Amino acid sequence: MDTELIYLFLQQGIVSGMVVGSVYALLALSIVMIFKTSEVPNFAQGEIFMAAGYCALFLLVFQTTPVWLAVPLTLVVAFAGAALFRRVVLTQVSRASGSPVNLVIATLGLSYVLKGLVRRTGFGDTPRSFPALVSTDGVMIGQASITRLDVAIFLTALAVMAVLFCLFAYTKVGRAMRAVGMNPKAARLMGVDLQRIHMLVWGLSAVVSAIAALLISPKILMTAEMGGIVTMAFAAAIVGGFTSLPGAVVGGFVIGIAENLVGLFISSRAIVVAPFVAIMLVLIVRPQGLFGGRVAIKKV
Amino acid sequence: MRFVALTVAAAILIALPLVTTGYVVYLANLLLTFTVLCLGMHIVIGETGQFSLAHAAFYGIGIYAAGIAGTSFGTPFPVSILIGGLAAAAIGFVIGMVALRMRDIYLALATFAFGEAMQWVFLNWNAVTGGPNGLRIAPARLFGLELVTDKDAYPFVVATAVAMLVLTVIVARARLGRSFRAVRESEIAAQAMGVPVQRTKVVAFGISAFFAGIAGGMFTLFSTYIHPDSLGFQTTILVLTMVVVGGLGSIGGAVGGAIAFGLISELLRQAPSFQEIAYGAILILFMMYAPKGLFAFLADRFRGARHA
Repeated sequence: MDTELIYLFLQQGIVSGMVVGSVYALLALSIVMIFKTSEVPNFAQGEIFMAAGYCALFLLVFQTTPVWLAVPLTLVVAFAGAALFRRVVLTQVSRASGSPVNLVIATLGLSYVLKGLVRRTGFGDTPRSFPALVSTDGVMIGQASITRLDVAIFLTALAVMAVLFCLFAYTKVGRAMRAVGMNPKAARLMGVDLQRIHMLVWGLSAVVSAIAALLISPKILMTAEMGGIVTMAFAAAIVGGFTSLPGAVVGGFVIGIAENLVGLFISSRAIVVAPFVAIMLVLIVRPQGLFGGRVAIKKV
Repeated sequence: MRFVALTVAAAILIALPLVTTGYVVYLANLLLTFTVLCLGMHIVIGETGQFSLAHAAFYGIGIYAAGIAGTSFGTPFPVSILIGGLAAAAIGFVIGMVALRMRDIYLALATFAFGEAMQWVFLNWNAVTGGPNGLRIAPARLFGLELVTDKDAYPFVVATAVAMLVLTVIVARARLGRSFRAVRESEIAAQAMGVPVQRTKVVAFGISAFFAGIAGGMFTLFSTYIHPDSLGFQTTILVLTMVVVGGLGSIGGAVGGAIAFGLISELLRQAPSFQEIAYGAILILFMMYAPKGLFAFLADRFRGARHA
């Protein structure tokens, strides 16, 4: 491979990687948000993402709802569904036993229910394509070619991240969420309603996942299995340290770019296994992830 | 009570091939195989309280190792099964050593990642696993005889399952089993009592992988074909669901869950989407209302009714 080609591949890989990476970053953010406040790795995040995508598809294509109505409606459904799951199911699960293992099993249960439901409606059985809301004309950035849609995806994702960081940094609700993440007992003593915060975090996380679904769906074929993309987000979250929001963003871009470079330089078949190798490698070297603090030791 | 239950179980196991047809015997073989898988899952998640989301991978390693030994080298099946079990255990130990540095969620994710990576290996290592074409498994042999039908294999499947059950009971009652439970209850307290926590976790993981490998070997006794598609996360979830339905933390629960939920999932096979909803709903509902499993739940109800 001559240097010019390598240079071209590098540019293309990095630019395309930034676009996919921004979507991974959103998904990783939604996983980390939940994990930070309630110590539950949500194994259903991919299926929440998938279900939200199908909800939007149903509204836009099958009900021909206008975009300005379909998009907010999807986000509201995602918010309500996730908040309700947290309130109704997980509250009861932690009351029944309290072990984190049981909470994780409950999220695994949710992922299967959602996947089955989407298949049951008949939408999930055939691959479908999601209409692009932005034109797919080409744009050149350096020597890399991408589409207007890609630019829109990237910019929207950045905007969502900015809103999230402002939310956590400057609003009362955001600070309450961070307080619950640091020390739930102290937060409750300071007058934070834990139940409400947990519901808000789950709802918000589902909204972020739903936005990720709206962004990436036009670029992929939709199937009931599309939630598998969440593996990349888990990889991103782990690379970032799992408890760090900026880490999740960095991890998302790293995984996105790495995936594209592996695809261009090695083989597209290797893309599938790359995130698992990345997860294992990072965990071997730094069990708490790149940006993670010390792993807290559970007291007796 | 326990004696009666064991006698009834033994009577059913002996009578089964005498009174039924091929499909039921096949199903019995399959359920016994899943029972061994569940016993392995029980050791790591029920006894030790550690996550393993890679069970399908170890099961697959057992199937391929035992199947290839028997098919290509013509080893008698006791040897093939052991090869399957030991291959899985060896890889399980290595993964355990890596996982030794992790806890809770990181362990869950690492084992999940390993399971997915193994499925990719099964699908792409064409020279060994046949890749997407799957692998034909020759009938198991013993003393030059071939076990062709499900009925031929049945006694050996039963014997293996019983042996593994006995092994589980021995492990649980030994010092090792007490260390497992000490680690589950509190790692710090266990350490204070002189239990080597990390080593205990690795051993639990290795033993669990060994069980899964043996289960893989059992599968080669009565089955002639394996495809990587049946070794994915879905299978791990199936085993996890069985253990959860039976009751996390009890051997009887693992066995009962494997049989009870195995039958349910066999009935649901006709409708895949419905099967997924049912698995998910069962996991959620059990976690909400019966985290100790069906049998403990029923026993509580029964006792409650009597006292009322």
